[in-house]
Amino acid sequence: MLANILIDGIAYGMVLFIIAVGLSVTLGLMRFVNLAHGAFAMTGGYLAAWLVGEQGWPFAWGLLAAVVLTGLLGMLLEALVLRRLYRRSELEQVLFTIGLTFLFVATANLLAGPEVQLIPLPGWLKTPVDLGIRTLPAQRLLVIAAGLAVLLLSAWVLGRSRFGIWLRATVDNTGTAAALGIPVQWVYALTFGVGAALAGLGGILGAELMPLEPYYPIKYLVLVLVVVAVGGMGSITGSAVAALALGTIETASKYLASDWGSLFFFLSMALFLAWRPQGLLVARRA
Amino acid sequence: MGKKMNWLGAALLAVGMVGAAQAQTVKVGIIAPFSGPFAHYGTLFRAGAEAYVASQGGKLAGQNIEFVWRDEGGPNPANTRTLAQELVVKDKVDYIGGIVFSPNASAVAPVIQESKTPMVIFNAATSDITTKSDYYIRTSYTLWQVTVPAAQHAAKKGYKRVVTAVSDYAPGIDAETAFKAEFSKLGGQVTESIRMPVRTTDFAPFAQRIKASGAQAVYVFLPGGPPNLGFVKAYQENGLRQAGIEFLGTAETDEFDLQKFGDSALGLTTLFHYSGARDSAANKAFVAAVNKQNKEAVINYATVGAWDGMYVIHKMIEATGGKRDGDKAMAAAKTLKWESPRGPVAIDPNTRHITQNVYLRVVEKGAGGLLINKEVQTFPAQVDHGLVK
Amino acid sequence: MTGLPLHAPPLWRQVLPYVALLGLALLIYFVFPDQLPMAARIAALAIFVMSLDLVVGYGGLATLGHSAMYGVGAYAAGLLAMHLTGNPLLGLLAGACAGALLAFLSGLFLLRYEGLTFLMLTIAISQIAQNLASKLRTWTGGEDGLSGFAIGKILGLASFDLQGRVAFVYCFAAMFICLWLMRRLMASPFGLACVGIHQNRQRMAALGTRIRWQLLKLYTIAGAFAGISGALAAQVAQIVGLDTLGFELSAEALVMLVLGGAGNLWGALAGTVIFASIHHWASTLNPYHWLFIIGGMLVTVVLVPRERWGQALARRMQVFRRAAAPAGGSS
Repeated sequence: MLANILIDGIAYGMVLFIIAVGLSVTLGLMRFVNLAHGAFAMTGGYLAAWLVGEQGWPFAWGLLAAVVLTGLLGMLLEALVLRRLYRRSELEQVLFTIGLTFLFVATANLLAGPEVQLIPLPGWLKTPVDLGIRTLPAQRLLVIAAGLAVLLLSAWVLGRSRFGIWLRATVDNTGTAAALGIPVQWVYALTFGVGAALAGLGGILGAELMPLEPYYPIKYLVLVLVVVAVGGMGSITGSAVAALALGTIETASKYLASDWGSLFFFLSMALFLAWRPQGLLVARRA
Repeated sequence: MGKKMNWLGAALLAVGMVGAAQAQTVKVGIIAPFSGPFAHYGTLFRAGAEAYVASQGGKLAGQNIEFVWRDEGGPNPANTRTLAQELVVKDKVDYIGGIVFSPNASAVAPVIQESKTPMVIFNAATSDITTKSDYYIRTSYTLWQVTVPAAQHAAKKGYKRVVTAVSDYAPGIDAETAFKAEFSKLGGQVTESIRMPVRTTDFAPFAQRIKASGAQAVYVFLPGGPPNLGFVKAYQENGLRQAGIEFLGTAETDEFDLQKFGDSALGLTTLFHYSGARDSAANKAFVAAVNKQNKEAVINYATVGAWDGMYVIHKMIEATGGKRDGDKAMAAAKTLKWESPRGPVAIDPNTRHITQNVYLRVVEKGAGGLLINKEVQTFPAQVDHGLVK
Repeated sequence: MTGLPLHAPPLWRQVLPYVALLGLALLIYFVFPDQLPMAARIAALAIFVMSLDLVVGYGGLATLGHSAMYGVGAYAAGLLAMHLTGNPLLGLLAGACAGALLAFLSGLFLLRYEGLTFLMLTIAISQIAQNLASKLRTWTGGEDGLSGFAIGKILGLASFDLQGRVAFVYCFAAMFICLWLMRRLMASPFGLACVGIHQNRQRMAALGTRIRWQLLKLYTIAGAFAGISGALAAQVAQIVGLDTLGFELSAEALVMLVLGGAGNLWGALAGTVIFASIHHWASTLNPYHWLFIIGGMLVTVVLVPRERWGQALARRMQVFRRAAAPAGGSS
């Protein structure tokens, strides 16, 4: 039982993490409240469903293309529209991005109808893998592996690469960073794009757990926000820990107390936030 | 959405008023989900209802039919009541049809009772709905109706330990209660009764619980659409059949999603009142009529629920001569017996619910390599066992 | 921004909006009786959005969990009617008390936090309430909703009719009274203190205001009104569903508030009317089209803030005045 809870919980947590990490970074870096983030996850999923399902592309290529396209869409949106809102109040950002979300939802319905979109998995992902304690479809293992990859890669990029240095500098003090010759606008655009691309990846990988349908961005918005808030805005490891912890709690409650619904999830979230309002791993501000 | 039909209705109405034409318009309000994850129900109700009218030559009992479509959304009883109230007060409909979710169906009871508007339920499946007003008729099914035969089948197959897994709302609880009652009566034991929140999207934890229960079979009920799809996939992906737990379902192999399961669905057993693949003249005519109306519409229990529902409305219009008379319409409806695409049916005058055959079906490969629900056994003339004990 | 004048305007200007509102109600009642059920629902919902305005517009606390108070008010009224008495006014009282109690208790916890943390915690409270209501099926009816309760005659005079006439008069009267009460309240020193806190917390603290206590009072009062709104809705529909506690309701109320303009309560009313009307009208065409319209409106409202509309209008007026008095000169 425990093994089951852990495995399913980690898989679910990884999906939440992959989707949420982009929002956490944009929120922490640009202080921009983008509630349309779930729409990127949906876009990635829909694109993959279309490319792999209808156009018949092989799964890996379809996934790659969908993720890249979503990232480009994110960059485009940032450069054309969202950039103007950076100086606005939080409430205005919230409302604008909610409006944007509504537009995404309506467009998804217009283009693809109200049904759930399925991404056909290739045979090798559907085969059950016997771990000894439990058999689970290979797809879940892929999700866990992808989550780990994203975590490690982002930690490496932030810590070791030049872009990471630019990013951290821009977060700490945008003016000085720009004065030093760092292309701040590009850093913003690229970071936003990568966040959107990751959300798209999460949407594709999580399509089994969180079905793709037009209301997706609204339905799962709360979950993503919870992960970001509990993990701490801007903290990637924080998001990972929050996602895994909350994902496991939610899965455990499904196994042990399913008629309580998501109550324990939200209770835990409230307790985590009350204990650490700035985020799980973020040092308390004085 | 309803524009074409309204154009036709309005034009005919105009002709009727100008000339000495005798045809009048009967307005039928249909409440169904047209948005959200259950929006396919709305499309199918529409296909079935419009196909029926078309098959009768465009008029029912000499009257023109004007449909007024309203979006039910999801389970939202307060909103549905308002929609029904508006249909009656503002749009002045003569009949109401549709409704997928049981709480929504119950909510309109005061409206139809006070206004004496007959309401034909095309889907909502909880037994006690029809007791809440004298003006309900139902052409879909109830959980008691299909579950009692399921329990009988389980007992006959020699299962001693069965676990039930249902969605946690009225129809699901009906299914759980019905199965437990009948199965225990026949000497079996329900080892665990699992209730799954309606909002669940990930059924793997429940599949694992079922696997760990050590039962011989699992009896299942979930609402049609994404929950069905998710559960059956979880059943397959977690190797439940290999673990020796047989699948005993209701509408889970719904034609709407059936092809998506692939070959791993072969052999799944369900007990339900309608299979699109039924080999009868009435069914073939029905399939042809719906295809003519809407090539892409799936033929399933929702489509036939609307089709038969319109048949009942047709007969009520006939009995009242196209005039609004709720009591006369209901009196006529209670006497109906006919051959539906699903088999021989009748309206039970006491419960106002449709008495029909329930079939044991197994998923097989049909013509053209498509998966079908093949009827292998008939449980004739089942009533609503929840109301008729 | 908050619409509070520095000097009190003349009496006729204060009374005019209320008279106009009454006129609108009479118009709907006599000229558009088909719309009465819809109008009743809008009136009940408007109280909710106005109560949200107290918290968001006046108090400056962004919340997405306000539906919790609405929902407990609705269930309180429904349970009262089911088990004790169908007296509608007592039901409203029950709703107000339930909403106020929940707001007070949750406010004790919530108001320690700010910003995103506060927002997320408000969501948590309403989700916990919703999941709890779903679990307590025997009391609340769970997913199937609480139904089967009858509402008695209002003031012993009239019971709800199918046409929705009584419901409309009842809801409109309640809304009218609540609106007047709320405006009086926010124009009082208490209300001004809350606005002060919104504008500059440090300054208010320096003046000796007990910030958390003031905000708690505001939150509790808003909770009471939200509870009244829920109770009204429950009584008129005679059914209460889990959606009364849902996130969607909180989010929609926030959208309504912003569309109409936060901070003076009239905007809340206007926003409710606009949103509900568009939702209803667009839904009959196609259930998704309303999302295009509302989404587009939100995007536009934010990109072109109301001040700009006001400025553009003022500039037009200036041009017009200049054109009308060419010899006069400046303004």
